[in-house]
Amino acid sequence: MTVLEEPIKEVLTLRNYIDGEWVESEGELADVVNPATCRVIARIPISTRDEVNAAVEAAKKAFPEWRRTPPLARARCLFRLKQLMEEHFEELSRIQTMEHGKTIDESRGETRRGIENVEVATGIPSLMMGYNLEDIAAGIDEYLIRQPLGVFGIIPAFNFPFMVPLWFAPYAVATGNCVIIKPSPHVPISQVKLVELVDEAGFPPGVWNVVHGGGTVASHMLAHPDIKGFCFVGSTAVGKDIYRRCGETGKRVIAQCGAKNFLLVMPDADLERTIAACMTSFYGNTGQRCLSGANLVVVGEGLNEKEYSAFYSKVADAFVGAASKIRVGYGLDESVQMGPVQNRDRKERILGFIQKGVEEGARLTLDGRKIKLVGDWPHTCFLNPTVFEDITPDMTIGREEIFGPIASIMRARSFDEAMEMIHDNPYGNAASIFTSSGKWAREFQYRVECGNIGINIGIAAPMAFFPFSGMKNSFFGTLHGQGREAVRFFTESKVVIQRWF
Amino acid sequence: MEEPNVTASTIISFAKKLEEDSSRFYERLAEKFAENRETFLSFARESERNKELVARTYQETITDALEACFSFKGLNLNDYIVETTLTEDTRYSDGLTMAVQLEVKAGKFYSDVAERSKSLLATIPRAFREVAERRNGRKLRLKSLLDDTK
Repeated sequence: MTVLEEPIKEVLTLRNYIDGEWVESEGELADVVNPATCRVIARIPISTRDEVNAAVEAAKKAFPEWRRTPPLARARCLFRLKQLMEEHFEELSRIQTMEHGKTIDESRGETRRGIENVEVATGIPSLMMGYNLEDIAAGIDEYLIRQPLGVFGIIPAFNFPFMVPLWFAPYAVATGNCVIIKPSPHVPISQVKLVELVDEAGFPPGVWNVVHGGGTVASHMLAHPDIKGFCFVGSTAVGKDIYRRCGETGKRVIAQCGAKNFLLVMPDADLERTIAACMTSFYGNTGQRCLSGANLVVVGEGLNEKEYSAFYSKVADAFVGAASKIRVGYGLDESVQMGPVQNRDRKERILGFIQKGVEEGARLTLDGRKIKLVGDWPHTCFLNPTVFEDITPDMTIGREEIFGPIASIMRARSFDEAMEMIHDNPYGNAASIFTSSGKWAREFQYRVECGNIGINIGIAAPMAFFPFSGMKNSFFGTLHGQGREAVRFFTESKVVIQRWF
Repeated sequence: MEEPNVTASTIISFAKKLEEDSSRFYERLAEKFAENRETFLSFARESERNKELVARTYQETITDALEACFSFKGLNLNDYIVETTLTEDTRYSDGLTMAVQLEVKAGKFYSDVAERSKSLLATIPRAFREVAERRNGRKLRLKSLLDDTK
């Protein structure tokens, strides 16, 4: 076992980044803990209301000049940022592993996806263009201009500390807005490192700000009248509340929330590749992503009872066999396939779900509470992959978002029954089907009420140039993050009708 | 026998070390045997380029949404390691034999990982195939040099 060198050597004391300056907070400090080693790696301030106000003031002050900066010049700042991110690729990735726990492959993948959003946003001179039409009436022309609005707040989740703010921030600043990011207090270091690069890339002071803290800081931001809109990624309960508050105050909002994702395995699926995709889906990022598989539905469409029983056993055995071999440990060990959950409280919550599953009569086929690690690490935040069988969709573990490395294998005798299971669930973030049949694939994508659809894909993660969708209790808002929809979200459509006498 | 899954990062680190070791080996070969100094040095330089190609391709295409941690099944990396220590007693033909063995194993490694990474983004297996072809080209050249010694 070889562990890659840790880029954080001593305990960092984090500061806010306001108006192009690193500012020490007067707020209380909280610990940031590496969940694999349980060592404190940073101290983060819980910023005060005055500090939030200062960030908003700085962003507001920077906005008029920034919006007048030609889009190409704004894009050049992003080009420089992209280059710096490439140069610091490995450091950025290892920091994610240290503060979040994910494997180094996953962190590097996250860094890449973050960079891709910056790359897409550099196309803003084309993406932001409006459109026009001559002669809508005699001698009258009409055209549409996209204009920035001002200051936006970004409140990301803990599960992708580097990437999630980049679903929004590059598009916000590319379109001429200014941003205030409040990183998750559990994983704030990635955003600090990113903003060091933002600073080096030469963004004007006040365009890109970072204010640390938890719920109280988010609440100060939401109450501020000069913030025009919010991008939030996190739980459904908080997302709903933010959506409501933004509605009351007339702010725009993208609220990407919780999930309970179903993966259907049809009898004609390529089982070997399906299982490999399922391992990434259910256990990648230790199950802590809104696109993770939660319920694996073995569908018996067209099979008689005997055939279905054999098919179910084949899928379940292969799944459990593969899950039981996943190597769990510190993500900076390159041989590791799954890291710890992000903190002790999250682990406790997941343990509660496992207990609930047992109590409700589900069969615990693979018990992840029996910890087996690569390397000698404290067990505090670790769990091994868990598999439940004999689950029904009304059981707690079949219905609620767990956000951990737990898979529930379910049975559906027909495709229609599987669709009903999905639609009875309040979430609608992602769903996948594994099949060799174009007919079933088409039927699935046509009917399923979920925003991100995988066809023989375990993690239906939209690329930066597509919107990150979501439906039902998984999304509140109209436009989504990433790509063209983000450009629309961060701009107002102004229509001009023109006639010259 | 249980087939282990090897992570993408393990494969990339192995490939980088393989190229570093190969580069050093050919530099030593060039120092020791003047007969084909330029050929050996060109192989050393090519290994540096191979390393860059593999590392760059990985960095530019890695994504956490594909099966990076679960693609490389059934590989035992020890199978691709060749002893390449040159001693004072190593003869020219022994050095060439070692080099051929190195290229055979390296070529096999890159072919095997190219096959297993087909489900990842297209650039990944393409990069592996490209290096496999270069290694195969070297093997043929080295075999021809070895034949000349007989």
